[in-house]
Amino acid sequence: MASGNMKDIKRRIKSVQSTMQITKAMELVASSKLRRAKERVMQSRPYFNAIYDTITRISAQSRENSVYGRHPVVKNSLFIVIAGDRGLAGGFNSNILKLAQAQMEGKNVKVLTIGKKSQEFFAKRGFSSIGDYPGLAESLRIAETHKIVDQFLELYRKQEIDEIFLCYTEFVSPLTQEAHCIQLLPSDFKKSDAETGKKPAATEYDPSPEAVFESIIPEYLYGVLYGAVVESYASEQSARRMAMESASDNASEMIEDLNLSYNRARQAAITQEITEIVAGSGEVGS
Amino acid sequence: MATFHLKVLTAERCFFEGDVDRLIVRTTEGDVGILPRHINYVAALSIGGMTISQNGTSRLAAVSGGFVEVSPTGTTVLARTCEWADEIDVSRARAAEERAKQLLEHKESAQQQDIAEMRLKKALNRIRIAEK
Repeated sequence: MASGNMKDIKRRIKSVQSTMQITKAMELVASSKLRRAKERVMQSRPYFNAIYDTITRISAQSRENSVYGRHPVVKNSLFIVIAGDRGLAGGFNSNILKLAQAQMEGKNVKVLTIGKKSQEFFAKRGFSSIGDYPGLAESLRIAETHKIVDQFLELYRKQEIDEIFLCYTEFVSPLTQEAHCIQLLPSDFKKSDAETGKKPAATEYDPSPEAVFESIIPEYLYGVLYGAVVESYASEQSARRMAMESASDNASEMIEDLNLSYNRARQAAITQEITEIVAGSGEVGS
Repeated sequence: MATFHLKVLTAERCFFEGDVDRLIVRTTEGDVGILPRHINYVAALSIGGMTISQNGTSRLAAVSGGFVEVSPTGTTVLARTCEWADEIDVSRARAAEERAKQLLEHKESAQQQDIAEMRLKKALNRIRIAEK
């Protein structure tokens, strides 16, 4: 009886140990990928901040009649949803997908998915997708964002879509990631401008503010999309690293508990054996 | 001699940062030279060269699109892609040139033609800059 119990415990210890090996390995892989991803985030931020500053300044001075302006009626909305390619990253995928779904409520939605998890999620729920880009995030180059952006800008210009939203996860720190949903087009730079609008410095635009604005919008979107994918990828890696770290911790805790009960069972078996021997020898001796 | 602060950024990296004497970039309207104390200025860039003069020496780079902004705090070039002349892989640029030419001969859709033309321009620009 006792030896059977001991065998059971031994088997469970083994299985927990092998799980822990896997989670440990995944943790190490994620943290080395995270290091590279973090570097990319840091390198892309100055570009993004600079382009954002410029575009807010220009949009204050150019009029609303650009092809990227507001459409009179909003019929179709496009959601660009960036999620991971793999699971086992804690709440990373479900957070962003839940947020996206909540934002879509009551809208006539088309999606453009980046990442396998996002593609699977929306395909299963029967959303109409204008493009899926799985497996893109790990080694994204800026040139690859061009075709994605050109694709949806074309639709926007043809008035087939009237709003564009981008759902991504911001990499705040290795411990915190925040899911965001921002509106790309029509752009609401005006609002942030009212807050910062101190003195509109006289600026010369070559050839004209409108022409410059028109050519900057695609550049801005390339930058935003690149930045969002890079941020999301870093978030995914750090979410996975954290999830795997706590899984490894739980596993080692479990192994400790199991070891304790294994030793207890072993001790009980020995005690019982001794009792049996003593009882037996007493009978023989008398 | 007066200098001004210049930052050249691409989405992938900070390409150049420092105090320079003069900057020449190719905008959609033609080559523009920027000297210290320039008026606030914004222009879109086209495919072309960029010359940065610093301490009497100048370096040439190939740029494909983006824009330049001059403000009192400094000048920023936000480039789509940007490479120093000595970084350019000429054989790769030549291969790209060949591919683009072939695409142009096929006479596909107007959109394909545009893309091929852009690629050809970029490849020729790289070769021109590298061989200067």
